[in-house]
Amino acid sequence: MPDNQEERIKRVLGAVLGIPPGNIPPEASMDTVSSWDSLRHMNLILALEEEFHISIPDEEAANLSSLPLLRLTVSEQLKEV
Amino acid sequence: MKMNRSASEILADQASPLGEVMQALADWDQQSPNAQEITFGLSSNVTLGPLSIYLRRHAALCGVRLRVSESDYDNTLGDLDRFRRAGVAYVFCLPLFDNIQPAFEAQVASMEELELAEREAELRSRWRLVFESSRSFRQVWVATYHRMSPAPGADGDDPVGRAVRRFNQVLREEAASYPQVQLLDSAEVLACVGAPAAFDWRFYQRAKAPFRPALLDRWAHKLRVVSRGFGTYYYKVLVLDCDNTLWGGVIGEDLLTGVRLDPHEPPGSIYWRAQQEYRALERAGMLLCLCSKNNPADVDEMLRSHPAMVLRDDCLTLKKVNWDEKPDNLRAIAAELNVGLDSLIFIDDSPFECEAVRSQLPAVKTLQVPAQLAEYPALLQQVRELMLGGGVAAESASKTHEYRQRAAARELESAAGSREEYLRSLGLRAAVIRSDRARLPRISELTQKSNQFNLTTRRYTQSELAATMDDPCADVFSVDVEDRFGSAGLTGVVVVRYLPEIAEIEAFLMSCRVIGRGVEWAIWPAIIAECRRHGVATIRAAYLPSAKNAMVADYYQQLGLDPLPAEGEPCWFQASLDSWRPPEAPWIECQYHPAKAKFQHAG
Repeated sequence: MPDNQEERIKRVLGAVLGIPPGNIPPEASMDTVSSWDSLRHMNLILALEEEFHISIPDEEAANLSSLPLLRLTVSEQLKEV
Repeated sequence: MKMNRSASEILADQASPLGEVMQALADWDQQSPNAQEITFGLSSNVTLGPLSIYLRRHAALCGVRLRVSESDYDNTLGDLDRFRRAGVAYVFCLPLFDNIQPAFEAQVASMEELELAEREAELRSRWRLVFESSRSFRQVWVATYHRMSPAPGADGDDPVGRAVRRFNQVLREEAASYPQVQLLDSAEVLACVGAPAAFDWRFYQRAKAPFRPALLDRWAHKLRVVSRGFGTYYYKVLVLDCDNTLWGGVIGEDLLTGVRLDPHEPPGSIYWRAQQEYRALERAGMLLCLCSKNNPADVDEMLRSHPAMVLRDDCLTLKKVNWDEKPDNLRAIAAELNVGLDSLIFIDDSPFECEAVRSQLPAVKTLQVPAQLAEYPALLQQVRELMLGGGVAAESASKTHEYRQRAAARELESAAGSREEYLRSLGLRAAVIRSDRARLPRISELTQKSNQFNLTTRRYTQSELAATMDDPCADVFSVDVEDRFGSAGLTGVVVVRYLPEIAEIEAFLMSCRVIGRGVEWAIWPAIIAECRRHGVATIRAAYLPSAKNAMVADYYQQLGLDPLPAEGEPCWFQASLDSWRPPEAPWIECQYHPAKAKFQHAG
């Protein structure tokens, strides 16, 4: 299951940032992916919320600037549901 | 795991999550390299987030690839400048009342009247500048202001509501002078989603992005409707089945007393409501026709004698009540009305008939009355959106009367002796009117709708026409036609550009309602006179073939112009003004009004 979750996050990340999911390194972040700007970041949060039917809290939304952080938050939110 | 779905299926599914929509859009783009392309500019005083994605989604569903120029933050004038340089055709402005100043809704409650009046004056002059500098766009849609906070109770004071209404009044007043600007009602779009699904306070605080995906998707839907599928359709004729479409039951079996059409009792009330809606569409200028497998006498009795019938004979342009196949009847309707099949919407309750029409006449938009009758009103809403789109110009209203006059004239034609005798008996009068601004909406509408008698199929927006009228080296002639049966209204348009030595006919089109009576010949002396006044010696005109205008392929040759030797399209024709004699139509009395004037009615 967690593998599938990782795959889904990468797929959303790839669609929003316009890169093939296979090319996204496990440590990808706003610093290393040039198309990951603040506007796309907002679309990314909205897209992840819709994908996993979760609600990412306000204080976290802006700070989820890397794939590891996204992974962590999605898992936490899914546990709470 | 989800099934693998095609890009179009994902785009069409309202429930598809944003990530999948974005991937599907990328796939669709790749799979549709030849899709028609349209450019769209977005402007707002807040961040619009994924609106461009939803717009592209709705355009793709119409087969159109949208190139979207995004909004800068709160810089509409700068946006417009940028859009102009980028060649953008359509613009959508979505201003947020609450961000006119930070937390404006909260400020308004304690604002002095003087302060509010100053804000209002500043907004007025800013919108005027925006509208003024948006003349070059084909169309500019502006959303009205709306509130984010809930309205107070029924008897509570509501300073926010008052201020929103006041600022919207400013928008309406300023927009009124600009034909390219159309306001869209935010309250209506908001009501479709509901406030909780509409606003995202989290991103509004952090990124000035207040709108949730559900609301943005709804706006994209609205723009798809008002742009008539991003310019991909224009329906004018509504063809209706009878049994279980206009009333419950089968007239041939249940008889007048047995069919269900009671305004107060379901299921009759549902059909009665549908008839009300259809009549309202007819009043708005759409043509209603019947296409039903029935005995004509039964349907006629229903139309004449059933006390609850809303649609009567006088609302109907054509009735095809017989036992022929429906696709044949639909073809006949299109032929008799002189419109393309793609102008028709067909509604029937039978899945069998709907499928027959869908498969044989894919150009006709076919809609099935839902098996669950409670869903019928939703279908009617869809029909209204498809047909009325961005609203209609006033003179378009209630065309049925004109078309019926024409049908009456046809009957006379078969009775009269020679063709010319018949035409003389009509008492035809035409008026050629030069560059009259008051007629802009109807002229523009005619250029958008006419397909068959249209030499270059150039579509003009009102603002393009206004600019052409103002140009001293150009004229927009419009033609009114009337006969002893009544007025056919504005039915022809000629756009002329005066180049040195040469007058070029940039566009010539006529409504199919008046073709074949010689008006297409009778108007030229008036236009030649105007060309002479401009001192040109030669007239030149182009025929640009389209899928629908083959009927005018040899029109300019019949008019007496000589084809110019040239490869490819358009085909050019010209003649010297001194030697050119257009065919005459002595049975028509043609008046010319060089300045603004209305038709002079005799008697």
